[in-house]
Amino acid sequence: MASHAEITASLLAFQEGYNKNERLKIMNRDWDRVVLVQASDIPSQHTLELQNGELSVREGAPPRADLTVIADSETLADLFYGDITPTEPYMNGTLKIIGSEDDIVRLDFISLMIWGE
Amino acid sequence: MGLKRVLTLRTVIATSAGLTLASSSFVAAVQVAGFLAGDTAWLAILTGGLLCLGAASCFSELNARLPSATGIRLYFSRAFNDRLALTVSLLYMAVVMGVVGAESYVLASVLSSALPAVPPLVWIVAMYLVVTGMNIRGIKIAGTFQDLITYGLMGSLVVLAFIALARVDFHLTAPLAPGGALAFINAVAVGVFLFVGFEWVTPLAEEVTHSRLVSRGMLLAVGLLSVVYALFTVAMTASCPREALVASSAPQMVFARTVLGPAGVFWMAVLSLAASITTFNAGLISVSRFIYASAREYVLPPVFSRLSMRFFTPWVAILTVFAAGVTISLVVLFTHRYLVLVNLAAAMESVVYALAGLAVIRLRQKEPQAECPYRVKGGVFIPALTSLVFAVLAVAVMFTDFYVSLYLLAGFVILWWYVHQVVPALKSKYQPRRPARRRRPVAEPADAGCKKT
Repeated sequence: MASHAEITASLLAFQEGYNKNERLKIMNRDWDRVVLVQASDIPSQHTLELQNGELSVREGAPPRADLTVIADSETLADLFYGDITPTEPYMNGTLKIIGSEDDIVRLDFISLMIWGE
Repeated sequence: MGLKRVLTLRTVIATSAGLTLASSSFVAAVQVAGFLAGDTAWLAILTGGLLCLGAASCFSELNARLPSATGIRLYFSRAFNDRLALTVSLLYMAVVMGVVGAESYVLASVLSSALPAVPPLVWIVAMYLVVTGMNIRGIKIAGTFQDLITYGLMGSLVVLAFIALARVDFHLTAPLAPGGALAFINAVAVGVFLFVGFEWVTPLAEEVTHSRLVSRGMLLAVGLLSVVYALFTVAMTASCPREALVASSAPQMVFARTVLGPAGVFWMAVLSLAASITTFNAGLISVSRFIYASAREYVLPPVFSRLSMRFFTPWVAILTVFAAGVTISLVVLFTHRYLVLVNLAAAMESVVYALAGLAVIRLRQKEPQAECPYRVKGGVFIPALTSLVFAVLAVAVMFTDFYVSLYLLAGFVILWWYVHQVVPALKSKYQPRRPARRRRPVAEPADAGCKKT
């Protein structure tokens, strides 16, 4: 089981990877979204916010989210560090992403651009 | 904390019913009537609808237990095993492509009937180009527009049916004597096609104001459709000779011309276009997204997961579906064997519904502690009955049409081989690209200290 701090660190690594990628920032300039990242096995909630192509990370839940990413803490930490791809846990139901299908594809694309296959 | 969920019950019903209502539905409705004596088509359609309500309940429980856009791929994987789930999902998607092929053929016949100067081939290619363009640009039919199309369509069908019944001074003839049990079973089995796709609304569970609205919406959509189809089919068979309806690939046009003349033809052409565009678009989106997701997990070569950098849509998957769809439509256009595709879809849908019933029972046994906000009432009775009845209906369709059995069996064997031989090879070829060392530190880091909300 990963801790809340590990999930925070993984999200910061994800943010760092994102911010290094100028092309990704330009591509997401018109995709303003609020993403809630929630662990299913420990009390841990984070907010990812994309605004004008910039990604920010905060601890805690947002008032309103466009997308909610729910998984056990281990999966979340591995996922945002890029040690696993989202596809397998998503297909086997370990990872739940609540939101529109197009937004889910976009999130998958961002992860792919940051961490590769 | 809340989600910015926007869809209401009205739109969920409209979406579920709208995905199901298609131009080829009228062909299936005439097929149902063709099996039966007297005015008993309504009975077979209402029975089919009632059975689909059982299937809808099972899908509601599966969706409540495993809310995911991956649908049957995940339900069957958890309930049975991944290989069976993959084989059935691939086969189902192939059949959906067949439905799209049949739909394009029927709609082309409708439009050519209204505008004979334009050949069906032109209509088919034009439809595929429009819908493929919409898909690549990521344009979806909005909720309000979907409401307008579906409710307008159902209202128009009811009005047309009443006009037709009033004109012939209709009285029911032998409404409860279908002419034998076997004929009735076959009629109900083909009647299942009328409801194909109502469960495609389940991915919307993630976009509604309350997740139980999807369950309620599906049940209400099936109920509404049953009544509209039953009424319209009785009106068609009461107003026109059955031989003329059965012989036509667009029986609704024969009906509309008989009842209202050229005005009816125009009205029905518009209705058919509206009915097709939603089904057509949803079918192509479902298959292309399935191809994309399959490529992302290396079930298909990774080239199919390429995304458009401008629209963030899986353009290779969409173009593949375009090519496959046009090919199927051309084969149908030249062979005129669209009824095989209708029967194939009815059989495959029955197989999927039978498995959905079994999946509910199996998941209750395997994961008794799992969170499940919706459960089908009455223990295992409805899931078991759904499973049994749809298994019988699938067999009935296969016995009625030899080619359906042949295509389904061949498809299953080929995909079973693909899943067991090719998929492992693809996975072993592409999965080593993952990082050799873990990026995540082994030791637990100190609190990274990002901003707190």
